[in-house]
Amino acid sequence: MSNINISRRDFLRLAGAAVTATAATAAQAALPQQAQAAGSAKAPEWESKFGVCDMCFNRCGLIARVERGVIKKLDPNPKFAKSRGMLCARGNAGVDQVYDPDRVKTPMLRVGQRGEGKWKSIGWDEALDLCAAKMKDIAEKHTRCGMLFSAGADTQSQFVNRFAEAYGSYNVTSHESLCLLSGSRAFVDTFGDVPQPDVKNSKYVILAGANRMEALVTPDSMDLMAIMRQGAKVVVLDPRYTKSAALASEWHAIKPGTDMAFMLACAHVIITEKLYDQAFVAERTSGFDKLAAHVAQLTPQWAEGETGIPAADIARIARELAAAAPASMVYPGRRTSDYENSTQIRRSFAIVNALLGNWDRPGGLVPARPTGLKKVPFEAPFYDDNPPGRVDMKSVPLLFDDEGSFVITRENVIKGAPYPLKGWFVYKTNPMATAPDRKKTREMIDKLDFMVVVDITMSDTAWMADLVLPAPSALERQDPVQALQSGAEGACLVWRDPVIAPLHQSRPVFEILKALSAKLGFPEAFDFDIAKYRELQLAALPEAAGILKRDGVYYPPNPPLGGTDGQPFKTPSAKIELYSNRYAEMGLEALPVYQPPKTGGEAGRRFRLVAGRSACVTQASSTNNALLSEFEPENTLWLNEDAARELGVGQGDVVEVESPAGKGQLKALVTPKIRKDTVYMLSGFGSVSGGLSRTKGVGASIVEILESRFDAICGNSAIHETFVSVKKKGAA
Amino acid sequence: MKRSTTILSALILVLAVVSMAFAAEGNARKGKYLYRQKCRACHGATASDLSPNSKTQAEWKKAFAKPEALKCFKDWKGVTPEEKNDIFAYLHDFAKDSPSPAKCN
Repeated sequence: MSNINISRRDFLRLAGAAVTATAATAAQAALPQQAQAAGSAKAPEWESKFGVCDMCFNRCGLIARVERGVIKKLDPNPKFAKSRGMLCARGNAGVDQVYDPDRVKTPMLRVGQRGEGKWKSIGWDEALDLCAAKMKDIAEKHTRCGMLFSAGADTQSQFVNRFAEAYGSYNVTSHESLCLLSGSRAFVDTFGDVPQPDVKNSKYVILAGANRMEALVTPDSMDLMAIMRQGAKVVVLDPRYTKSAALASEWHAIKPGTDMAFMLACAHVIITEKLYDQAFVAERTSGFDKLAAHVAQLTPQWAEGETGIPAADIARIARELAAAAPASMVYPGRRTSDYENSTQIRRSFAIVNALLGNWDRPGGLVPARPTGLKKVPFEAPFYDDNPPGRVDMKSVPLLFDDEGSFVITRENVIKGAPYPLKGWFVYKTNPMATAPDRKKTREMIDKLDFMVVVDITMSDTAWMADLVLPAPSALERQDPVQALQSGAEGACLVWRDPVIAPLHQSRPVFEILKALSAKLGFPEAFDFDIAKYRELQLAALPEAAGILKRDGVYYPPNPPLGGTDGQPFKTPSAKIELYSNRYAEMGLEALPVYQPPKTGGEAGRRFRLVAGRSACVTQASSTNNALLSEFEPENTLWLNEDAARELGVGQGDVVEVESPAGKGQLKALVTPKIRKDTVYMLSGFGSVSGGLSRTKGVGASIVEILESRFDAICGNSAIHETFVSVKKKGAA
Repeated sequence: MKRSTTILSALILVLAVVSMAFAAEGNARKGKYLYRQKCRACHGATASDLSPNSKTQAEWKKAFAKPEALKCFKDWKGVTPEEKNDIFAYLHDFAKDSPSPAKCN
C-alpha cells in the first residue's frame, strides 16, 4: 500500500478549492468603507461590514460586501490572524447560505404523519404558545428531565444550555459526543487539560486520524503548509490518500484501528533509546516505570505486523520526533469518534507527547490561553421531583456530565429507562444526518410527544419534528462574544452584528428562548439583551468592545509560554498520568493496552467503512449549499481498484453498500488511493428531507449504514466500527 | 476522664472521616443550586471568582473537613448538614482534577 503513487497534478486537479483559500488580496479591498473613502478614488457603492463565518465551527473573521442591503461577496478579515487572513471555499460560499431558497421562512407546524412532509405555516405567537404549552405538559407528566435539549456548535448554543438549566432538565447533549469527546477524555485524564497544538512553531508533526488539509482547522491547516516550507516534517498516517497525505512530507497507509500499536512502538523506541526528556519525565509525569515495562516488548517489528508500516519507518519516525522535541508533537486531532476504545487510543497519543516534554513549549502542546471573558451568572431553580441525574448517567465509567452521550441517550429514550424522556428541543444540530444508525434516531423520535427544531433549513432532523422554527443565518444576527483558541498565539475574541436585516420571519434562538422563559415562568434567566450580555462578558476587558467594533476581532493579553512550569497538572497526582491511577481504581486499563481491531468478513462484509471530510463539506450543514454542491454534488464510495476488479465494479458504477444497520446506493470511485480493506464515503448526502433540494436521495447516507457503537469509557460515538459488503447494483 | 476524652475525640474524628466519605454521596445538582443561593453572594457575582474548578478534589475535601477554619464559616449558619453535603458534592465532583471539571473561563 505504501507505494501508492499519485502525481501532484492529479492532486491539484482533484483538490479543487480544498485547501486553496481566498487570500486577502489588495489591502484596499479589505478596508472598511470609510477608510476607502478617504482616498482620492471614488467610494464604492457597497458597504463593508465585519462578520464571523458560520460555515463550520472555526468562526473565521470576514468582511461582508453589501450592496443596497444585499450581500454580494464575503472576504477575509485581514486583522483576523487565526485564519492567516484567508477565507476557505466554504467561507466564500456563505453567501449562498443566506440566500438559499431552501431556507425555512416561517414557523412550520407538522400536519401530516411524522416525516411525511405535510406542513402548515403558522405565526410566531401560535408557535411559541404551542412550544411553551408542550414543555409545560411534559414537565408535569414526566418531570422536567423529560425534555432533552440538543444544540450544535454555535455562539448562541450557550443560551440553550442556560434555558435547559433554568427549565430544570439535566438532559443536554452537544455535538461533542458525536465528534471529539474521546480525545478530550484522553487528554483530560492524562494531562488534566485539553491542550492546543502550537503547529506554527513545530518542527515535526505526526497527523494520525486527522486530515487537517481537508477537515480545516484554523490556523493549523495553514500552518502545516507553512512549516513544511520552512523545513518541518509532517507525517500522515491514514488508510486513505487524503489531501493531507498528498501534501505531507510522508504518508503511510496504516491499517485502520491500529494507531495505538504505532504510538506504543514509538514510546518503546523513545524509552529504550533514552530519547525522552528525562528531566521533564522525572519531574512532571507519574507512572513512567510502569509505562516502560508496558512497552518493553512492543517493538517496531511487532507494530509492523499490526499497522502494516515497516518497522524501520516506525523506529525512524520515533527518533525524528524525539530529535525535534520539544518543538514536535503527535497532533491531538479533533474528531475522535472512531473506535470503541478511542479514549485509550488517544491516551497513547497523549503519552508519546508527554515523553517529548513538549507541554507549554513552542511547537508543542500548549494549555488553552486566557480569554479574559466573564461568565454571566444566573440562579436556576431546583426541582425536587427530578430524577437523580441524566438519562444516560452511569452508562459508561467516565461520561462528561455536561456533554453526555447522544448514542446512549438515544438508546435510553427508546427503552424509556431509567425514566421516560418525551420532548426534544433541537438547535442547529442534525442527528438524523450525523448520528450513526439513522433508523435508531428515527425510532427515538417516534417515542417523543413533542419535538421542536430551530434551524436555518429543513434539515433531516427538522423534517421529523412537530414544529420547526426558522433561524436567521449568522450574517443576520447579533451574537455574544466568543473566544477562539489559536495555539501559542493566544485566544481571540469575536462577536457578530447583523450584516443585513434578518430575512423571512426568522428569529434567533436567543429571542425564542427568552420568549419561552417568560411564558414558562422563569424570565429572570433571560433578563438581558445581547448587548447587555456582551457588556457583562467583557467586564474585565474595558477596551475590547471598541476594538471589536474597529477591527472585528480583539486579542486579549497573552502571557508567554512556560507559565505552567513548576505548577501542578490538574490530575489526581498533580502530574501527567502516563499510568492512570483513576483508571486503575475504576477497573479500567491504567495504560493503553493494544487490542487488534476486529476483522470483517461475515456475510461478505469485508470492508471497514471510514468517515472523513472534503474541504468543501461540513457534514450535512453544507452539502445543500448551491455553490459547494458544484464541488461535491454527491458522495461516492472510494473503493480500491484491486477490490473493485474482484467485485466486477467499474468506475462510476452504482454499488450497493450494506451493513447490519442498513444499506445505500452510490457511485463507486475506483481508486488506488485507499487500502483494499477499507471503503470511504462523505457524510451529508442521501438526505430524507423534502426541504433539501440538492441532497434529498442523492448519493448514500453514511448514517443509514453505520452501526450504533460507542466509546466504552466516555460514550462518544464510534463510527469506524462498521464492516460493509459492496456489490455492483443488480449483481447477485 | 482524660482517657474517655481521648476516646471521644478519636470517635469524633472517625465519625468526621466517615461523614466526609458519605459527603461525596450528596446531591451535586442540588449542591450547585445551593452554592449559588448561599455562597455566591460573597464568592463572586461574576461566578468566575470561585467555582468547583478553583480547587482539587483533595483541597475541597480538606476545606470541608474543617469548615470552621474557613474565613467565611461565620456565614454558614443557615446551612444544614445535608445542604453542606450537597454543596461539597458539587464542588468536589466538578473540581479541577475531577473526571468532569466544571467549565470556566
